[in-house]
Amino acid sequence: MAEKGNLRAALAVFWSFFGVRKRRDYDDDAQSLTQAQIIIAGLIGGVVFVLTLLLVVYLVLQFVK
Amino acid sequence: MSDAAHAHDDHGHHAHPTGIMRWLTTTNHKDIGSLYLWFSLIMLFTAGSMALLIRSELFEPGMQLMHPDFFNQLTTMHGLIMIFGVIMPAFTGFANWQVPLMIGAPDMAFPRMNNWSFWLLPVAGIMLLGSFWLPGGAVAGGWTMYPPLFIQGGVSYDLTILAVHIMGLSSIMGSINIITTILNMRAPGLTLMKMPMFVWTWLITAYLLIATMPVLAGAVTMLLTDRNFGTHFFNAAGGGDPVMFQHIFWFFGHPEVYILILPAFGIVSQIIPTFSRKPLFGYASMVYATASIAILSFTVWAHHMFAVGMPVAAQLFFMFSTMLIAVPTGVKVFNWVATMWKGSLTFETPMLFAIAFVCLFTIGGFSGLVLAMAPVDIQLQDTYYVVAHFHYVLVSGALFSIFAGIYYWLPKWTGHMYNETLGKTHFWLSVIGMNIVFFPMHFLGLAGMPRRIPDYALQFTEFNQIATVGAFIFGFSQLVFLVLVLKTIKGGAKASDQVWEGAQGLEWTVPSPAPYHTFETAPVVK
Repeated sequence: MAEKGNLRAALAVFWSFFGVRKRRDYDDDAQSLTQAQIIIAGLIGGVVFVLTLLLVVYLVLQFVK
Repeated sequence: MSDAAHAHDDHGHHAHPTGIMRWLTTTNHKDIGSLYLWFSLIMLFTAGSMALLIRSELFEPGMQLMHPDFFNQLTTMHGLIMIFGVIMPAFTGFANWQVPLMIGAPDMAFPRMNNWSFWLLPVAGIMLLGSFWLPGGAVAGGWTMYPPLFIQGGVSYDLTILAVHIMGLSSIMGSINIITTILNMRAPGLTLMKMPMFVWTWLITAYLLIATMPVLAGAVTMLLTDRNFGTHFFNAAGGGDPVMFQHIFWFFGHPEVYILILPAFGIVSQIIPTFSRKPLFGYASMVYATASIAILSFTVWAHHMFAVGMPVAAQLFFMFSTMLIAVPTGVKVFNWVATMWKGSLTFETPMLFAIAFVCLFTIGGFSGLVLAMAPVDIQLQDTYYVVAHFHYVLVSGALFSIFAGIYYWLPKWTGHMYNETLGKTHFWLSVIGMNIVFFPMHFLGLAGMPRRIPDYALQFTEFNQIATVGAFIFGFSQLVFLVLVLKTIKGGAKASDQVWEGAQGLEWTVPSPAPYHTFETAPVVK
């Protein structure tokens, strides 16, 4: 149950980075997720975003070489 | 208004001081909001006059009116005052007036701290402006305070560091107040996800301020110790690194850009639905986009310093992250347009400024994307293209949203409708003047004219002359705004409680003008 909630928080954060969310999904999030879950997921999301970008940069540089 | 308010106060609380003491000792959120807004308006005219002096000098090549060092002082002080003395206090003024009214709270959470937050600002403002009269004049190294120039200057540099500390303190206290008010004092039933967008954007801005102001304080403290106590944080001769200052400064500076624009997004998100007579399209998306812009704003700082030299991997990283932050910003622009789509639009002055904001801020956003590309940025770094870019973001973005907000809420604050003809005159003069000043600067920058210089090569003359004419149109049109505000305070048609036909929210349920004390009994939101 808790794992499902964490996955849901991760999904919510992913959509927030894109800036779009369906009204129905958003209502479900508001019902089922706690503020703490969202904040922790947001911070982890920020770290994952940076790491993903670093990976992309690494791959681009490999390709250029 | 005041008579009714005083009569009310006499039977519950202690009597209010009057005259100057009312304003010095006030803990009322409406009084403090007005103080912030007046301070901001005075500073707007002060720093705006500096801009007109700058543009006068640049009307023709060669030195015409002033010594080059005074020109540098003007550019530096214009930037510092416009950012810390105009845009930030104006938004805090809006927050003070509107956040309690919009969430159904009787006042801010910490009213005395609120008073102190405001009264620190004039102290800092006097320090900054007073430094013009010190030996060596005011600071002249640019508002970004880069060493080594900032380590070498005279006593006004120390004074500026102190002023920045004081303004940072004021911002942090203001932010603590806003966060506590929003999280703890909302009316029953007003859940976080029912809050008006303006309240959301300020909540997120307040967190950004608390996260970044100490970074700025750290950077300027290191400057202070380098200047006075023999440290060498930024002195290459002593083993320090001036580029480290740029990293620390822009780690504050880029979130600061969003501190200056997120409340503007909030104001525009209130106004467009009202005059479209439709709810905001994609409210949840807007909240999410605001939160993600805030988080991503910490990952893009070095795009301000592509030209200082950094590994290609770092250039790529900051280039990609900067481009990606355009995604949630673009979502917002689409949402505003979608809100207007098939709405019953009317074009009162607040709506005109809001629409101008959407169009012109987008131009500033696009030129930002151009500058995000490291190879292009290395060409355009420190040219007038950058000046054009950030003025489109800060003048037609932040400042226009402030005008929009004033026109929108002024009837609620004063109880009088403003003069629509004067308002529209102000709008058209501002929007035309603003574009005449700043659009030619794109061409000047692309042609290679550097920024922050008092003299230039002959081929740049015509575009500079056009910009100067536009600056005077734009500058003097602000007098129309001043007249309008004074006239509205003095009298005018009586404003209804609702004021605008399509307006939604708790602030429109209280009488116009808003009484001195509101929501002493919390309203219930369904």
